[in-house]
Amino acid sequence: MYQFKPASERILRLRERIRDRVLQYDAERVRILTESTKKNENVIPDIRRPLFFRDLCEKMTLIVDEDEIIVGNKGPHIFSSPSYPEWSGTDWVVDAIEAGKWDLREDGMYHNPDSEDIKYMMSPEDYEYLKSVRDYWAFRKVGTMADAWQPECFEELQRLNVSSYVKGGNSLNGLPAGHLIAGYNRIITKGYAALKAEAQAWIDAHRDNLMGEDLEKYLFYKAEVITCEGAEILVRRYSEKCAALAAECADEKRRSELETMAETLAWMSENPARNFRDAVQGIMMYQVMIQIYDRTPSPSIGRFDQYTWPYLKKDLDAGKLTMEEAQEIVDAFFLKLNCFYGGAPIKLKDTVGVGNTYQNVTVGGVDPDTGEDASNPVTFMIFETIGRLKLHDPTVVFRTSSKTPQELWDCALATSRLVGGLPLYYNDELVIPMMVKECGYSLRDARDYGCIGCQEIVGCGTDYPAPNGNFPPHASVWWGSIMDMAINDGKNPLNGEQSSLHTGFLYDMTCIEQVRDAVKQMATHIMRMFVTTQNYAEHLNKFFAPESVLSLSIEGCMEKGKDVVRGGAKYNSFGGTATGLATVADSLTTIKYMCFDKKLCTTRELYDATMANWEGHEKLRQQILAQVPHFGNNDPYADVEMKWCVDLYRDICKQMYTTRSKVFKAGLYGASDHVNQGRLTWGTPDGRKYPEPIADAASPGQSRDKSGPLQIFNSSCCYDHGGFMGGIALNMRMHPSVLSNDEGIKKLGEVTKEYFRKGGMEIQYNVVDTETLKKAQAEPEKYRDLVVRIAGYSAYFVELGRDLQNDIISRNELTV
Amino acid sequence: MSKTGLKGKIYDIQGFSVHDGPGVRTTVYLKGCPLHCPWCHSPESQSFHSQMSYASTRCAGVEACGECMKVCPAGALEQGAEEKAAGGLIHKVRWHSERCAQCFACTQQCFAEALSVCGKDYTVEEVMQILRRDYDFLKSSGGGVTVSGGEALCQEEFTVELLRCVKAEGIHTALDTTGFAPWKAVEHALPHTDLFLYDLKHMDSAEHERVTGVPNEQILENARRIAANGGKLQVRIPVIPGFNDSIENLSATARFCAELGGAVTVVQLLPFHHMGASKYERIQRPDPMPADVMPPDDGQMQKYLELMLDHGLKAIIH
Repeated sequence: MYQFKPASERILRLRERIRDRVLQYDAERVRILTESTKKNENVIPDIRRPLFFRDLCEKMTLIVDEDEIIVGNKGPHIFSSPSYPEWSGTDWVVDAIEAGKWDLREDGMYHNPDSEDIKYMMSPEDYEYLKSVRDYWAFRKVGTMADAWQPECFEELQRLNVSSYVKGGNSLNGLPAGHLIAGYNRIITKGYAALKAEAQAWIDAHRDNLMGEDLEKYLFYKAEVITCEGAEILVRRYSEKCAALAAECADEKRRSELETMAETLAWMSENPARNFRDAVQGIMMYQVMIQIYDRTPSPSIGRFDQYTWPYLKKDLDAGKLTMEEAQEIVDAFFLKLNCFYGGAPIKLKDTVGVGNTYQNVTVGGVDPDTGEDASNPVTFMIFETIGRLKLHDPTVVFRTSSKTPQELWDCALATSRLVGGLPLYYNDELVIPMMVKECGYSLRDARDYGCIGCQEIVGCGTDYPAPNGNFPPHASVWWGSIMDMAINDGKNPLNGEQSSLHTGFLYDMTCIEQVRDAVKQMATHIMRMFVTTQNYAEHLNKFFAPESVLSLSIEGCMEKGKDVVRGGAKYNSFGGTATGLATVADSLTTIKYMCFDKKLCTTRELYDATMANWEGHEKLRQQILAQVPHFGNNDPYADVEMKWCVDLYRDICKQMYTTRSKVFKAGLYGASDHVNQGRLTWGTPDGRKYPEPIADAASPGQSRDKSGPLQIFNSSCCYDHGGFMGGIALNMRMHPSVLSNDEGIKKLGEVTKEYFRKGGMEIQYNVVDTETLKKAQAEPEKYRDLVVRIAGYSAYFVELGRDLQNDIISRNELTV
Repeated sequence: MSKTGLKGKIYDIQGFSVHDGPGVRTTVYLKGCPLHCPWCHSPESQSFHSQMSYASTRCAGVEACGECMKVCPAGALEQGAEEKAAGGLIHKVRWHSERCAQCFACTQQCFAEALSVCGKDYTVEEVMQILRRDYDFLKSSGGGVTVSGGEALCQEEFTVELLRCVKAEGIHTALDTTGFAPWKAVEHALPHTDLFLYDLKHMDSAEHERVTGVPNEQILENARRIAANGGKLQVRIPVIPGFNDSIENLSATARFCAELGGAVTVVQLLPFHHMGASKYERIQRPDPMPADVMPPDDGQMQKYLELMLDHGLKAIIH
């Protein structure tokens, strides 16, 4: 079995600090933003935003902590969570404190209630400041403009409450799209000085002569020059800070380390990386810039092992660095990523989770040029870090193919045993050809793919994928509700709201084809309204929110002189996800089996039972659970309905597009939204009661899989995974006894490989038994490091809400 | 009549077994066993007949259902005590096994599958259809099909035919056996069995008989004859504290295995565990293993493992 090695003491100290983290809201970014915006009040957003970025780089507080070897911070505290009022105002924190929900404690800070599992605090001064600028931002934020007027369909969409545009929910447009992999490799191989010179050269060549499209390009390159100036300033300031600390440092070893850090940062403020330290620190600096410039959800790292290995190899060959030193740098990098949590209102916890950063890292895979295995010693180092430090974040995606070495499989599976759900296993042999076929990537760029967010597939530094639409939490329409509305003449039984589309009642339908047709009509109607709304949000973003930090590195933008939000990237797409289609498929199977084929009940009886949320119909419900075939058991009778559902969803997605992107990627994933959707989806014909969760992501309904993991694999392959380039998440909870020895680990690897040969795209394993989960509920303090995966992210089990905990317990535990 | 129409009594077919022989395996569990080992973690495997099983955790309660009580001719099902459930307070059904006529009428009514029949007749062809779904995974992992029990050789004709059919389709076969069967039955299975998963519980026949109910001479003799006739054995030793975990007995077992020579592919040490407890509850039989018998700890298991290795045997834990 792969043996994890102990980490250094300072790494363990950092790790404990992170485990005990209290996120700190601060007003520093808002202060600098407000001053900068007031100064440039009427400057066009293309220039105003980079000017703010440069101001921020000049003024923000920098931190170099005593145990740190890789530096970077988002605000004045190690766990700072800045606010982004330009999008959504001065935020929910101010409202919560004002409403008396947070209390002022002895440490002089406001704290959120202990009942909320993620811990936040904020100083009274920062609170007062945010309150003082609340009105200023309430008027100026993008969300205000978005909310003031929308296309007609938005009213119906929101009223029905069947998508992420929930009734009384967040603004239509309160966040940038994010969810991408920036061009880290471009940053570390070119350096800010060269990039700035490139932009300046265009400006010089077109001076005083801007005709036609030149003007847009001019604004773009001007923005990039200002952005590069900001970048240089920020990195240089870190260097100066390290140098100043070195001068005061009594400990000789640390002093020399600080001097090295100062030298690294000074070099990286302008130049391409020379060595491994340069590369890792350079990636981290850029990662900080992405997150201070804008909120940027899921700023994923991509293929870290590919960016950095050439440098490490050079250092090792030259004897300048040892493997142990390199491993400590990797540990430090991942711990640093773990300092970048963003706060969010507690209600978001059940949709996307809070307390995770979504800075996904993709490892393994193939070489873009040769197609040969590209794993390297850094790949192993990343598993080592995640496994030995038991980090639930960032999500690590392991790209596999028939070329992946067995030792790497063993190492990855040993990691799965320790850290719930990590890594995610992805099948290169399915993904790469389909990226070429479905999304138009070149073979080289397809081979260089990475994953972001939950597990969405994107190009690495070449792509503006907006995979969750243009306001990221708004990724999904709720298929369980669509099912209910389709058999209830377009009325949502949850709230009695009537859709403009009438589809008839189940009790008037006489065959399964009629039911399917009603679902098809309703799904198409809802999806069209949903994407229309998304497209309107995108339209606003193009004007209000150019992204000069991202556009600096993403291939295509600097070449074309065009920002990513306006289509500058080499590849463009957007998309969404249908989570829990198994609930819809099982509902269709139930209707087919109970009413039409076996005639065990009438359509009226099943309709009445569903509309009564199964109250008073327990016997019928139990009969359905016991007798009706369900998706996940390799029964074609049930699987054919799942295939019908996923094909329908995919076909509808193919009809969606925007001016920036012809491709709307379909996905079958979804953070933890199945629990949230369950709470807002009335009982469904499959016997699921409101408010139970719907099925998660692409998995079978909870406890409906009764035939073991191999039949789940077989069932999952009933549809073509290649059509879901947004990504697919199949969750399996394995009993730890499966992986109790080398043999078990190897066998799970072989089964996974066979699933991939059969056409499976992705799998993620939670290795934990029910008993442990129940003990962790009872005595959370003893299980603080127990990591589990929900659907689209992993988390410490004890930090999850009760409903999510129960959902994980309710999934079948697959044993030997 | 085609032999594939032969029927066997089966209580479970389980895919994805990873600890019962090479690779990933699908295991067919046959009902009925001449031994009654107190540590048995599948007590429902012992009787040769179909029998009632009741998992009360699944009962929906008499408020929502209660259909089983209406059809029970023996008055063996009654309303139990009030309990807390997700939907409020309910009364689950109580099953009185001592009154039960084993007519299974109630199981037809119990959609929650709390009341169920353990042991169902399958034809060889029916089993084959289920097994074939797993072939891709079995082949790619170097695994196969295991026929287990109970004691599968008690249903000799069915077992041999099943092994023959599986092997004929190019799938590795294993027979998980107590070894307590006439040599003729073992010999019958031998050509169709790639590997015997072979239990050795105690080397002292009297002690073996005292605890399991049968002596061990035939078991040891069958092992020798399998080895002599070219069969392969994966020897499995359940390590039961206070019964067979003395160094003396384990050394004797190791010597016996060593004498079998190359026929023994590996010796598997299986530490005792209490995980069968809920299965005893389901058939309302007291768990014969005292609750204070603790699983051997890792250190002890390691010591036993080394003992096996010292005898030149390939050995694993689990």
